[in-house]
Amino acid sequence: MHELTIAQNIITIVEEEIRKHSLTGSVTAVYFKAGRLNAIIPETLQFGFNAIKRESPRLSEAKLIVEEIPVRIRCEKCHTEKVIDEPIFFCDSCGSQRITMLSGQEMYIDNFEIE
Amino acid sequence: MKVQVVRKVLEVNDRLADEIRETTASRNTVVINVMSSPGSGKTSLLERLIPRLLANDVKIGVIEGDITTTRDADRLAQLNIPVSQINTDVFGGDCHLGSEAIRPALDHFDLKKMDLIFIENVGNLVCPAEFDTGANFNAVVISTTEGEDKPLKYPLMFRTCQLALINKIDLLPYLEFDVEQLEQNIHTINPDIDIFQVSARTDEGLDVLAVRLLRMLS
Repeated sequence: MHELTIAQNIITIVEEEIRKHSLTGSVTAVYFKAGRLNAIIPETLQFGFNAIKRESPRLSEAKLIVEEIPVRIRCEKCHTEKVIDEPIFFCDSCGSQRITMLSGQEMYIDNFEIE
Repeated sequence: MKVQVVRKVLEVNDRLADEIRETTASRNTVVINVMSSPGSGKTSLLERLIPRLLANDVKIGVIEGDITTTRDADRLAQLNIPVSQINTDVFGGDCHLGSEAIRPALDHFDLKKMDLIFIENVGNLVCPAEFDTGANFNAVVISTTEGEDKPLKYPLMFRTCQLALINKIDLLPYLEFDVEQLEQNIHTINPDIDIFQVSARTDEGLDVLAVRLLRMLS
């Protein structure tokens, strides 16, 4: 949820990075990674991003590319690792509930491409 | 050219949340963020739980979050504790409390005199889970009238919490509700969460919960 807030934050952060590195030129693409546990809908995020990017001179032509990161778990008892589609934090190899989540809760801007 | 960023999109909120934790830790104040769907019984539980903690000389304050009205804050103020109401309609009707709302609310209290602050978050099982409030512990209230499958449908909420309070257990004789199934579903999502069965109507389970909270304060 909150795709619009997230879109605004993406733009703010990229604009800061542009200033920080004293870059000229327009951003062509922003790569965003969203762990699946956060239930971000990529189309909604892109829709929000496209609606507000025009207000940013350096990002007005940018595409937002959203990569969904799967929820990957490791069993601390038998060390089996797997990707889960349902939020079932349980090892179906040995039945243990001692599970570490290795990925799936992230929400970050990975990189962007600028002319 | 490609520019590496690797920055969390909620970094501003998270940084402020960490600052909140530093501030409260330095004043020996513990903060517990209480979340749930609307109507699960957050306010009623706090009304019944807080006097038990006050009787143990715990100095308590509440940060009350609602979109609008001060009704919950007024109820809790009856307990003679300081209550700070945040109405998110001035933030645009936000459906959750972020650390930027909590930070100024903390100034309402003399933290040196506070042992425990409850944040009663906006009634919502989705959004509050995404935003770190700067609390030390998160608790979710889920009631017996809500359906055993809720944890499976709202995994982020249940993974973010250390405590799950199953409320309205006084209604169990009148409902076809499988409380063991609910507990199992909660532990499927988060095996480490501590579950308490309580009733804000009959006070059942509140003494056990109070003991647990007292342990969290020491």
